[in-house]
Amino acid sequence: MTVVPAQQSGGGGGSSGLYDVLELVLDRGLVIDAFVRVSLVGIEILKIDVRVVVASVDTYLRFAEACNRLDLEAGPRKDPGLPDLVGEITESGARGKSKGALSGAAETISDAFKQARDDGQTESRPRARKTTSSRKREEQE
Amino acid sequence: MSTYVYGITAGSHTALPEGMGGVGDPPRPVRILKEGELAAIVSDAPEGLRPKRKDLLAHQNVLSEAGGGGAVLPMRFGSVAQDDAAVTGVLAERAEHYRERLGALDGKVEYNVKASHDEQGVLHRVMSENAELRALAETNRKAGGGTYEDRLRLGEMVATAVQHREAEDAAELQRALEAAATDVSVGPESTGWLANVSYLVDRQSAEVFLAAVEQLRKSHPHIELRVNGPLPPYSFVEPGPAQHAEAEAAH
Repeated sequence: MTVVPAQQSGGGGGSSGLYDVLELVLDRGLVIDAFVRVSLVGIEILKIDVRVVVASVDTYLRFAEACNRLDLEAGPRKDPGLPDLVGEITESGARGKSKGALSGAAETISDAFKQARDDGQTESRPRARKTTSSRKREEQE
Repeated sequence: MSTYVYGITAGSHTALPEGMGGVGDPPRPVRILKEGELAAIVSDAPEGLRPKRKDLLAHQNVLSEAGGGGAVLPMRFGSVAQDDAAVTGVLAERAEHYRERLGALDGKVEYNVKASHDEQGVLHRVMSENAELRALAETNRKAGGGTYEDRLRLGEMVATAVQHREAEDAAELQRALEAAATDVSVGPESTGWLANVSYLVDRQSAEVFLAAVEQLRKSHPHIELRVNGPLPPYSFVEPGPAQHAEAEAAH
């Protein structure tokens, strides 16, 4: 259930690690002022991750519900029933869509980012949270 | 014909990815431009280049390939020079600076670590740390979930506790891993991560760094860690000439 071990991104480098290194490729690295950069219009790298959030009434209710069902006697990883339930509750449109766009067949990254940003605006939630369901999806990819 | 630049390296670098496919469709073949002791990894720049998935990957792959054989200063994606002469001109003009950076980054690679909370795990954690939260949750549970206000109050307290936990875990993560690295670069804050930190690690001691990551996974099971590397040292190519000069002036 733990996350991907360190990925070797040398040589062949599949697209699986690309999502995580996007911001490095696009936003770090050497810039030489004598050169021009291709337009990155539409990319807002800081908002690529539109997930579920902490500070909203919805989140409060969701947390309350999760705590209600939380079995404190069981260890955090010994509760097979709960993750799916939480996943369903937190399956918000915003995260589903942005995630799908980023991992799916979207041709340009910028389109995916635009979508993520638009979703972010409609949701306008300040903090995001990674949940069991998103992790499961990542494992399946 | 304008020239796309992937990175800068030493002219003595023996394993440059010459002929490898670069950006564009069809992929433009990678060429090497030498100038003095330096070399630039370039290709022709395709017309209308945009940050497409395929091109981002090509940029990253060329740099990974080149980085396997020696130090490379990776360019940010999308750097285009007017022509080859403009590239060699820059190499000549700033040769000393690039040689210094290549020396500083020789044998080093970047590992990027992103951390987020496992929701179940962190809920367990904050509940076990806070008796008041446990009591409130128990009261609500006995009342069949509690009223709307009860649930809101509990949820808000939990959310606050989780946010505190995020800050503490981010600090603990940074402390735990920086000992195994030679430099640290904290990435921009972003929704979705409680920490996004890049570490500069000696290629030779990468095992030590990865062992520290594993140790952290064991000691903090409520944190999910995504580790990407070894990468070209994207986050460590600075300081640029100006900052460098300032740093020297300060001495």
